[in-house]
Amino acid sequence: MSGAIYKKPILFAVMALAVVLVGTVATMAYPLLRADMHVKVEGLKPLPALELAGRDIYQREGCVGCHTQTVRPLKSEVVRYKGKNAKEPTARYSLAGEFAYDHPFLWGSKRTGPDLAFEGWIKPSVDWQKAHLENPQKLVARSNMPAYAFISKEPVDGEAVAASMRALRRVGVPYTDADVAGAADAVKGKTNMDALVAYVVSLGKAVDRAKKLPARVDLAEANPLGQTPEVVERGHKLFETNGCTACHGDDARGQEGVAPSLVDDEFLGVKGDLPDAAYAAMIQFGSDVKPALGRPGVAVGGMPSNDIDEDDVWAVVSWLRSQKAHEAGEHHQAAEHK
Amino acid sequence: MNEYRYDNQTVQGFILSAIFWGVVGIVVGLLISVQLWAPAANFAPYLTYGRLRPVHTNGLAFGLGVGAIFGLSFWIVMRLCKRPLRFPKLARVQLWLFNVGIAAAAVTLLLGYTQSNEYAELEWPLDVAIVVLWVMFAVNVFGTILKRREEQMYVSLWYIIATVVAVAVLYIVNNLSVPAGLWKSYHVFAGVNSANVQWWYGHNAVGFVFTTPILAMFYYFLPKATGLPIFSHRLSIVAFWSLVFAYLWTGAHHLVYSPLPDWLQTLGIVFTVFLIAPSWGSVVNGYYTVGQDWSKMRSSYLTKFFVLGITFYGLQTVQGPTQALRVVSQLIHYTDWVPGHVHMGTMGWVTMVVTASIYYVIPKIYGTEIFSEKLANVHFWLVLVGQLLFSITMWITGIRQGWMWKATDVEGKLVYRNFIDTIAGNYPYWHTRTFAGLVFAAGMLVFVYNVLMTIRKGRALERSEASGAPATVTAA
Repeated sequence: MSGAIYKKPILFAVMALAVVLVGTVATMAYPLLRADMHVKVEGLKPLPALELAGRDIYQREGCVGCHTQTVRPLKSEVVRYKGKNAKEPTARYSLAGEFAYDHPFLWGSKRTGPDLAFEGWIKPSVDWQKAHLENPQKLVARSNMPAYAFISKEPVDGEAVAASMRALRRVGVPYTDADVAGAADAVKGKTNMDALVAYVVSLGKAVDRAKKLPARVDLAEANPLGQTPEVVERGHKLFETNGCTACHGDDARGQEGVAPSLVDDEFLGVKGDLPDAAYAAMIQFGSDVKPALGRPGVAVGGMPSNDIDEDDVWAVVSWLRSQKAHEAGEHHQAAEHK
Repeated sequence: MNEYRYDNQTVQGFILSAIFWGVVGIVVGLLISVQLWAPAANFAPYLTYGRLRPVHTNGLAFGLGVGAIFGLSFWIVMRLCKRPLRFPKLARVQLWLFNVGIAAAAVTLLLGYTQSNEYAELEWPLDVAIVVLWVMFAVNVFGTILKRREEQMYVSLWYIIATVVAVAVLYIVNNLSVPAGLWKSYHVFAGVNSANVQWWYGHNAVGFVFTTPILAMFYYFLPKATGLPIFSHRLSIVAFWSLVFAYLWTGAHHLVYSPLPDWLQTLGIVFTVFLIAPSWGSVVNGYYTVGQDWSKMRSSYLTKFFVLGITFYGLQTVQGPTQALRVVSQLIHYTDWVPGHVHMGTMGWVTMVVTASIYYVIPKIYGTEIFSEKLANVHFWLVLVGQLLFSITMWITGIRQGWMWKATDVEGKLVYRNFIDTIAGNYPYWHTRTFAGLVFAAGMLVFVYNVLMTIRKGRALERSEASGAPATVTAA
């Protein structure tokens, strides 16, 4: 290389700039012009006012420092984050088109807590999310997540949401005049906690990753495993390893304001018992299966579907049955003592 | 004897500011390391992990790192141009603006004002201030170089010029955002583009804050401290141009297995692997330079800082490209391995070279010697042990947790279904990390003490000189 440029600082700076710009143009600027960098999943909508306010809180609290939002196309990850149920095989992991309105992207770089890209499918329970944010260790004993109870006291700033929509519109997010005008009303009376939870349970929902529901559940189908001690013990273990305890508690007695007891004399808001098949269906398919059970009850529910083998599902039912019997026995005794 | 005076007070001002923000950044680092295993150590709303982490990274990258880069670049530029700064008053203003800016950065981050892009968290009013700050720096660097009294520009000047130019492009482009209020804005880029632009920026913040200006210091202060000339000028040239060329292509290695198109990921990985060559160009040049006389390791206490520094740079630039490979990335990405990697670069390479450069500069300002070589050696060993313990612990944690995430049985079912089971095993390692951080912090405090005592010694010397008492001052 000629020595002249090492004596000419301006020429040197221009050359350095040119060299720096080659890679910049090739890997940063040029992709901006490509179609494969501007994909959008069908029917993608901008976040509604409350969810948008929630995303702002997600940013404010630095959630991105510990939670990623991309399920990678790896077998273990597709299984862990329930991508398996996706209608389209390619949607088993995160798709570029899901993030077309994300300014900025919030994929994160460190997964201290679990990935949240499909959280809307994994933990759709608003009650659980709220209780967990307020006091994580109450629901997940060994968690290291900070408590965010203070945001439950903050009302959503409606004007700020409208300003956010206007700003996002300038960079191409299709908010309508009606969206902007209605933003303040849409979040009226809501807290930042409501907003954050609404955002979190909306994640991954732009793509259908729901487990395919049966048209009808055969309620007459009996538990093929019975109640042997081995089966009950296996069911208990499965109840723990599949994270059921995080909502329903260690002994399945439920947690106030989070998830119902599974061992009392009430199920799906109705007193009296249900057949084993109803339990099994709820475990496999979550709240969405309620209409097929003939018990729509409350339209929405927080119970997610689970990718558990049928045999294992029955084992869990066996354990729940044993607990139920145990519980009923205790009640019975208590009543007698009175 | 020179007939002019260098702007030593400005240089010292930047060094002391950098040290101050460095201490703040390290203390915050210790706190967030505790928060990882003791959630009760979060004090909502301002002192939660989520808000403090960017205070730690920005405080050390921009407070300590850029502060030291400003001060030491000015020192290097003045000596290599054989003249004082072209605009000394501008440099003083820059010093004040720098400190106000870093303080405002810390406060706004604690208030939750953030753009959420790593190393680009600061909201738009501060971005504007940082651009002004950088322009001030550039004006003085170029102004001084243009009026230099030495025709040939030495290697360090190349690296400083490249830093000035590249950081300007990177910072401005990635901070393009639309304000929604005084302290809230949205990245103009969306989704995959937002990610791609951010990591083009993010990786080159590493390239042009933690690499090129530090290499400028290395190429200047290593020969100064040892009295040995750089081994190969030709190697310096080849390493320089290939480094600044290749760095800009590599951002996508942060997005392996993300929704970013595969071709971009692959391109990023390829250039990342190539980057080993220019990085090692400087490593080899550094080794052969000291190799001219290894006894300097014993006779000159600063030599070992530079040798260990370039060693960790060498390890860092092999480990980094290894991590970019898909098969490695899928195991360690998102785990604690990555903070382990980053801290080898920052606590090993950057800290070693910056502190050694400061040890060289401060006594020179006063024409004296370092307060205590013995303490400098204590500092060296504490920082070395702390950093090694930190990084190695985090690598083990990362492999362990990455493997637990991936573990599936013969039927393809997860072995560890509850995410919390994969976290709970990290606690002992996270305790160790905090301990390692304490060892490192102790080393840095010894450094700070040594520097402050040297300044005190130097000032006493100046006073005795002014009062006419005999003093043994040698020209800088």
